[in-house]
Amino acid sequence: MTPKNNIIIGIIVALLVITSYNVDANPIEFAEGVPNLGIIIQEIFVLESLIEDLKYLPTAFGAMIETLQMAFIGTVVGVVIALPLSMLAARNLNNKFVYAPIRALLATIRTFPSILWAILFVIMVGLGPFAGVLAIIMYTVGFVTKLQYESIETIDSDPMDAVSSIGVSKFQLIRYVVIPEAASHLLGQMLYMFDYNVRQTSILGIVGAGGIGFFVIQYIRFFEYGKAAMFMVVILITVLVIDWVSVKIRDKYIVKSQHGMEVVKK
Amino acid sequence: MKQIQMTQNPSFSLISTKKIIQMNDVWTSYDSKNFALEGINLSIDRGTNYAIVGQSGSGKSTLLKLLNGMMIPSKGTIKVDYIRPNMNNKKFKKMMHTIGYIPQSLGLIKNITVIENILIGALPRLGKIQSFFKKFPENEIQEAKKILKMVGLSEKENRKTYMLSGGEKRRVAIARALMQKPTILLADEIVSELDHVTAREIMDLIADAQKRMNLTAIMVHHDMQLALEYANRVAVISKGEKILEIGVEGDNIVDFQTGDMTTDEIKEMYSDDSKK
Repeated sequence: MTPKNNIIIGIIVALLVITSYNVDANPIEFAEGVPNLGIIIQEIFVLESLIEDLKYLPTAFGAMIETLQMAFIGTVVGVVIALPLSMLAARNLNNKFVYAPIRALLATIRTFPSILWAILFVIMVGLGPFAGVLAIIMYTVGFVTKLQYESIETIDSDPMDAVSSIGVSKFQLIRYVVIPEAASHLLGQMLYMFDYNVRQTSILGIVGAGGIGFFVIQYIRFFEYGKAAMFMVVILITVLVIDWVSVKIRDKYIVKSQHGMEVVKK
Repeated sequence: MKQIQMTQNPSFSLISTKKIIQMNDVWTSYDSKNFALEGINLSIDRGTNYAIVGQSGSGKSTLLKLLNGMMIPSKGTIKVDYIRPNMNNKKFKKMMHTIGYIPQSLGLIKNITVIENILIGALPRLGKIQSFFKKFPENEIQEAKKILKMVGLSEKENRKTYMLSGGEKRRVAIARALMQKPTILLADEIVSELDHVTAREIMDLIADAQKRMNLTAIMVHHDMQLALEYANRVAVISKGEKILEIGVEGDNIVDFQTGDMTTDEIKEMYSDDSKK
């Protein structure tokens, strides 16, 4: 350890203490609160209420399907809007008078988390899943556009130069070089976004924007931790299944095209 | 290997067609301080198989980029078929449609099929709507298949490009350039990194296409021996300057610009031992 490193660590520790004091982050309070967690767990695992709660399983799956549908629409529509925007935001395809304003707009969109977009859309279109779908679309547009224009900017410049030297139009260059070269990243980004959107949509119900989150927050408010836990287990199972399917799709379609090789079948 | 005899003061002209490339005192730099090319003069006749030989960093690739308008000279004039190469010049932009350019990395799109890569050469002849829907006319598809057959890849037209070998990828790049119906073919070290046999197969293929389509082929090489075997003329570039230019006809070498070194010394200096 050099003296310089010691100073840096000292500063980090000092900042940690000051900021913890400012936000009342007290480890003693945490330790004192642990028994409360025990009470919640005790309430969840009361056998009679567990059997009673199982009756709500079809409702939980119904709400989860609604959540998945919302995430699906939000992801697909968001990606469709994001694609042309990413072409305009890529620095290697446009001059700064085109990409700079688009990037500023996208940065603004990304500033708000999806839950804030959901509140805005609940005010605009009323309570329900549609507000949630709109929120997910906004979030997806902001995020996928950024991921896409970054992929476009890292495309190998050689095919671009070789095809440009034929004297093709910019549109042809995008259609025949940029899209095929960036497509291998796009599928991965869509999967990642869908995965992320399912989790996001699960909490949008908190502000009345539909989905399974609505039930979870209601049960927590009425201290029905057993039911809330069951709904959360349904979310967990769904997310795990999506994660597993994503890995399979990635292996089959993405890895080989990005690395220019066949994936060995086990 | 050819036995080459040296003759001074040529009394005959090797190819007497009009000039397609003219470079006059061309200087160029990437950073406005160090020049990649210094005072290059070059005059290439239509239909010539022209080779540019030099070591890494000598400025060979830069010279090709100047000819297809991807770079603009800092000083001096360049004329390609009497037009100044510049991507912003409408006349030259039209001419670019018929200048086949194969970069050292080949510039193929790895995630699409062989025939799709080749059809890219026909893009300048495609309308906007056809381009959008990737709808190539039947005659273009037939032409692409004909060229595929010529380069010996008929059976692999639907293979993804990343699945091909190094030699096959080069054939695809040549086919894409030929699909442009080019008048000029620029190739940057297309056979470097290939084994001796495959390198000659690729060179034979280009020589055949060059004769068949009456192309002007300008090829950058690392290997002097290969250049002497296939080219009508060879220019040697060192540190951005043309130090020697020789004409090759059969077993004769005609010295157009006498350098400080003899041809044998040049051959020795630029021979690629890995290919022998």
